[in-house]
Amino acid sequence: MKLGYIIREGIVGINRSRMPFMISVFSVTIALLIVGLGVLAVDNSLQFIGEFQADYDLEIFLENEATINQKHELADIVKDYPGIFRMDYLSKEDAAALYNAEFGEDVLSLLDDNPLPSSFRITFEEDHRSADYILSFIQNVNELDGVDEVIFKKDLFNRVQGIMQLVYTVATVTLFLIVLSTVFLTANNLRLMILARYEFIETVRLLGASDFLVKAPFFLEGGILGFLGASLSVGFIILAEYGVKYYAHFDLPVKILDHPSVILGLILFGVSISSLGVLKAVRKMLRFVA
Amino acid sequence: MIRFDKVFLRYDTGISLRDLSFSIEKDEFVYLYGDSGSGKSSILKMIYMDMFPNAGTVEVMGSDSSNIKRRDIAKIRQNIGMVFQDFYLLSDRDIYSNIALPLEIQGYKADEVRSKVALKADELGIRSRLSHYPHELSAGEQQRVVLARAVVNSPDILLADEPIAHLDEKAAAEIVQYLWKVHESGTCVVFATHNEALLKRDPARSMTLVSGEVVKDRQL
Repeated sequence: MKLGYIIREGIVGINRSRMPFMISVFSVTIALLIVGLGVLAVDNSLQFIGEFQADYDLEIFLENEATINQKHELADIVKDYPGIFRMDYLSKEDAAALYNAEFGEDVLSLLDDNPLPSSFRITFEEDHRSADYILSFIQNVNELDGVDEVIFKKDLFNRVQGIMQLVYTVATVTLFLIVLSTVFLTANNLRLMILARYEFIETVRLLGASDFLVKAPFFLEGGILGFLGASLSVGFIILAEYGVKYYAHFDLPVKILDHPSVILGLILFGVSISSLGVLKAVRKMLRFVA
Repeated sequence: MIRFDKVFLRYDTGISLRDLSFSIEKDEFVYLYGDSGSGKSSILKMIYMDMFPNAGTVEVMGSDSSNIKRRDIAKIRQNIGMVFQDFYLLSDRDIYSNIALPLEIQGYKADEVRSKVALKADELGIRSRLSHYPHELSAGEQQRVVLARAVVNSPDILLADEPIAHLDEKAAAEIVQYLWKVHESGTCVVFATHNEALLKRDPARSMTLVSGEVVKDRQL
């Protein structure tokens, strides 16, 4: 059965060229290690910068005279506004408790009555998080009954957003370049690995193997190579994270194990570049054989 | 089975084959005789579609060189056994794996592969060498391995390019005898050689090539 031949040759091929195979696995590991560490560095940086930003984007303070019905109506209107990610209600009592926690004084012991207003704290969805959009929201909200004041720290918001955008752009460009050089280096390594198998490719072609039958075992071999390389790189990243935690006593906010999509992405990327890289190298070689 | 029609082949160094027209039928054993550079190997290469004519057409088992697709070349080669002067044995595989390769490429089942390899190895006296590697064998044994690989799937055509050039007299005689045996079982054999004694001894058609031209075609 030809499928049997493909699987057997793919595995036998690894065994027959152990050293070039191991070197290629190692090069994929290094390349994906750089990519993986890059992704995590960017995520951690963004998380770190994000901590400078308040837990919410703006706060709507309500009039002291606002009725329960007015508050409910207001909550319904705001909740349905496009782009609202989260809305939390703080009663006058919650506000007093927060004041107490922040300044260490009980506001009710200073004054007879609680002067602190109740409020809604609003967080916007990421793609609606721009100063212009938030300002237009404030304009609409200000016209509603029961709203006393809306506090939005525009300057701080803009500065943090700007830094995050800069980090994001620089990181994207850098990662793109890393990925590009990874693909290039891996492809070169794989080409050398395939070059060492010229004798086999030429012989099986002469014995009647179709191009597909020549390429398929190498494709499989490339997939195994990429999977091993990517798995090793994930392993090294986990070790590096533990290293940072136990030796630098710093617990990274974003870890690879918390993001299975990053692990899956690295494995898919490794398998893809290796199997396609091998395929390209074999295809190139087939142009030179009979 | 094989038909050359007004074939020209030009190398960078000069013309190799000129206006070559001939046919070889299924039941023939043909010697291609000529000195080095006369065009024997080029003819064989064109039969297994490793080379293509600059003008004219080569037809092999109904497929035309002028419009054949790459995947069809693979199919043709599965029906052509090839014995090369420089062996083309895979140095990192044992003899069994080398002989089994054409069968595995064609998708034969493992037990069929085993029995066919064993049969050919027995016929060629290399059964005891199956677990060895090519570099452990003498030139004569290596050539028998190449021959076993070429006939293991009972091809319609067997091409042999100077198969006895590097062998001693006894080993050469055994190879030639085996090629005749293969022919008798129904395979068309095209045998390129510069050994004139073979032509005189064996009752076969012989085409004599000089500078890329057939100057004599001795039919039986």
